[in-house]
Amino acid sequence: MSESTPSSPAASRCEYTWAFLILRLFLGLRTFFEGVEKFEKGGTYSFANYYENMGRMAQGITGASFLPLWATRNYAHSLGYILLVLGAALLLGVKTRATLILTGLLYVSLSFGLMAVQENEGVAWLGVYIGIIAGALVLVRHDRFALWRGRSD
Amino acid sequence: MPTPQIPGFTRRGFLATGAKLGAAFIAAPYLARAASLGKGADSLNVGLVGCGEEGRVLLSAALKIPNIRFRAVCDIWPYNRRYGERLLEKFGHDPKPFEDYREMLSATPDLDAVIVATPDFVHAEHTNAALKAGKHVYCEKLMSNTVEGARSMVRTARETGRLLQIGHQRRSNPRYIYARDRLVREARLLGRVTNAAAQWNRSVTEDLGFPAKQAIPEDVLQRYGYANMHEFRNWRWFKRYSGGVISDLGAHQIDVFNWMLGANPTSVLAGGGRDYYPNHEWYDNVFVIYEYPTPTGTVRASYQVLTTTSAGGGYYEYFMGDEGALKMSENPKYTKLYREARAPEWDPWVSKGLIARPGSGEGAPPPVKPWEKPRAHLPMMSKSDSVVDVRETAELSAWDIPVTLDKAIHQPHLENFFDAVRGKATLSCPGEVALATAATILRVNEAVAARKMLTYAPGDFTT
Repeated sequence: MSESTPSSPAASRCEYTWAFLILRLFLGLRTFFEGVEKFEKGGTYSFANYYENMGRMAQGITGASFLPLWATRNYAHSLGYILLVLGAALLLGVKTRATLILTGLLYVSLSFGLMAVQENEGVAWLGVYIGIIAGALVLVRHDRFALWRGRSD
Repeated sequence: MPTPQIPGFTRRGFLATGAKLGAAFIAAPYLARAASLGKGADSLNVGLVGCGEEGRVLLSAALKIPNIRFRAVCDIWPYNRRYGERLLEKFGHDPKPFEDYREMLSATPDLDAVIVATPDFVHAEHTNAALKAGKHVYCEKLMSNTVEGARSMVRTARETGRLLQIGHQRRSNPRYIYARDRLVREARLLGRVTNAAAQWNRSVTEDLGFPAKQAIPEDVLQRYGYANMHEFRNWRWFKRYSGGVISDLGAHQIDVFNWMLGANPTSVLAGGGRDYYPNHEWYDNVFVIYEYPTPTGTVRASYQVLTTTSAGGGYYEYFMGDEGALKMSENPKYTKLYREARAPEWDPWVSKGLIARPGSGEGAPPPVKPWEKPRAHLPMMSKSDSVVDVRETAELSAWDIPVTLDKAIHQPHLENFFDAVRGKATLSCPGEVALATAATILRVNEAVAARKMLTYAPGDFTT
């Protein structure tokens, strides 16, 4: 009969720390590059491309849903910058708990837009990210290697 | 009290002017079309012999060509003749109707050209008569239902010095010309062409009928060589009038074999039969294998024509080489260019504008939704390095030909003919060339009947 050896509390904390760090880095990279690719068109990156891409996105969502153009345009024009800021904050570890909450809410808002145009595949993918963010929030108390920790982190 | 009147403006005058303006307004489209017919040096007087199915197709295409004036229409069936006459009148022409082509040729001596769209067995008779009357002739394919008939047409054209164009219209299609001249011959995108395959699969069609009141009297039909009204309407299926489906549908595509490969075949192996339509004479399905000698080696070409199913991808001509393949069809949706994985990259040809990446259909990126950003094409996304099972080769990549025909499919061929009559072009399909095609095709029926491979001698394709 084998005897199981319970891991020590310190080792357990180390595993949680690494698990959270991996999640944080993945979500940070994903969110940051999601913002970066909004500036790309035909292999080149520019602000002009950004506003063209976002304009297309706003027109497309409005054209296929009940959402008014003023709302989709304002949302789209700010989306890329918000993704960059949140992505960078996650990578660097800036106010991680608050950043995760904001990122999760952003992904929920994106899901809402895709639900409005009945883009079920996109909604499902965003659901996966939202699940990962929820998991990260459960583990956020194990946040280490952070540049600026919040009081509650 | 009398109504005060504006000097020179009476109620009668107002009504008369109004009526004239109204008539001018209604007639404006037709007047505009009539004006486009032209009367200048470039204007050609044309007669049409045969206002049936194919005649109507040619009329519709020719009506879009400026400076063509239809002066005569001829058909032994008044029903068809009236259709042609009315259509032409609608477009501002003033054609004289005739039942007999001989009468047409003698009564309208100012014709420059004649379009022959009658059944195959009278092509030689009608064409030779028109040529001898000094007219240039555009004759529908197949040139004749006999090789001897086709030879007589070439000889008459030579003797009279008139032009003879045969209606293998793919030879004037800019997409076909571009594919052969630029892609296959100049850029050699297919590498060495080793095989070809073509098909025309068409679903079951009912025999053509006719309104009982419009039937042509038996004696008139027999005078013009027809047994009865049913055979007159469905002549393509009967041996005395045509070469069957291989000459009806196969003629266009087998002609493209000869044209694309720049050769005539040395042998033909064929099988077929009348297996479905008991009231027809000709085969309703035919399978053919040709051997073509080309400067780069033998090309074996298969052809099938089926008249009981449209399954299997419609109609196309496929040319396969060791580096790529070209699938051509008059229907652009069946047209594609394929690159073998072992061939040099074709991206430089895209940069030069010679070929294009597919925008839609096979080989095209998945459609982008209105709110999505089009994805960038990255070299590492190419499928050329994909790993495949040892029993199969890597998937071919699909490419597009950046040339499309924006006209009716017969129009460029008719334009080429009329330009040649004006001395501004050379014929895309002169009689000599079409004779070789007719000989290539008509031997198929002999091979089916003989149930063995038949060979060709060089003299089979000439007069």
